[in-house]
Amino acid sequence: MEPQLDGRDVALLRATQDGIPLVPEPFRDIARVTGLSEDEVVTRLKRLKENGVIRRFGASINHRRVGIVANALVAWEVPQSRIEDVGTAFAGNERVTHCILRGTVPGRWTYNLFTVLHGRDRATVEGLVQEMSDSTGIANYLILFSTRQFKKTSNGRIVERAIAAVTGEVDRTLSI
Amino acid sequence: MPERDVDEGLDGPDRQLLDAVQREIPLTEEPWAEIGRGLGLSGEEVLARLRRLSEEGIVRKLGPVISARKVGLRAATLVAMKVPSRKLSEIVGIINGYDEVSHNYERDHIYNVWFTLTAPDRESLTHLLSEIHMRTGISEGDVLNLPTERLFKVRVNFNMGGR
Repeated sequence: MEPQLDGRDVALLRATQDGIPLVPEPFRDIARVTGLSEDEVVTRLKRLKENGVIRRFGASINHRRVGIVANALVAWEVPQSRIEDVGTAFAGNERVTHCILRGTVPGRWTYNLFTVLHGRDRATVEGLVQEMSDSTGIANYLILFSTRQFKKTSNGRIVERAIAAVTGEVDRTLSI
Repeated sequence: MPERDVDEGLDGPDRQLLDAVQREIPLTEEPWAEIGRGLGLSGEEVLARLRRLSEEGIVRKLGPVISARKVGLRAATLVAMKVPSRKLSEIVGIINGYDEVSHNYERDHIYNVWFTLTAPDRESLTHLLSEIHMRTGISEGDVLNLPTERLFKVRVNFNMGGR
């Protein structure tokens, strides 16, 4: 079940999704913008985090600026019977940021488990992938290094789109 | 266009601070002071460092990472396309024009363009994809549609070695 969001939650997500201001009392500024009290801002944000609408409330950094320039999507061909243990093992790897099981395209694409890894250079990432392969016995994989970033959005206008998809209105209780 | 690597200029407290704020910003009236308590820094110093890291382009933003699924965008897919190089910029322009596309990368493979799409349901995804086929002129035989079946992990922080 998805959590119920009301108009105030939506206003809060809108006011914070591009980042809170770097001022001594940032949530007081957010309160001013949304017309809520500072206390309510904090309480509602906590609740949104508890119910999973906010996956993480924290900093996003530009990893390319700090020398983490190799980014690889690794596609693994994992037999059905191994998905649970291999998926769990990869997800538990500190260096893996994403681990996702995906549908395949029969006859054209048989890789079903995708991981994202970052590192200072390609050799580092290749070494990590080799270790992952050795420790799980999954030998059939493809490393897809990125050569250019065409688009990257953190929240991708998620709030606006979610609202538009459901009602086209915000100022009332939404079950979205 | 290579970006200047500013990693060398980060001191120990910067790294600790980056590790801490990537994990979480405390939801309290004085978040900077609370972060500082764990690191032996004053709230003022935390704020000053964050401002500098933000000006240097290392910190992009401090805020919520919203779960698309939890706000009703339940269907997601990864799409790979074979795009001829002479048509690359035109086609990337079309794809990036969709709000439903959150990430789009060129990758070192015969399928050279890889992007992610999210929508309220699978039908909307299918509809979007057929529109993209039509507008880009890339046929289905040159496209892989790899829908999300299960999220084992989604994380976006990077260990800065502050420990």
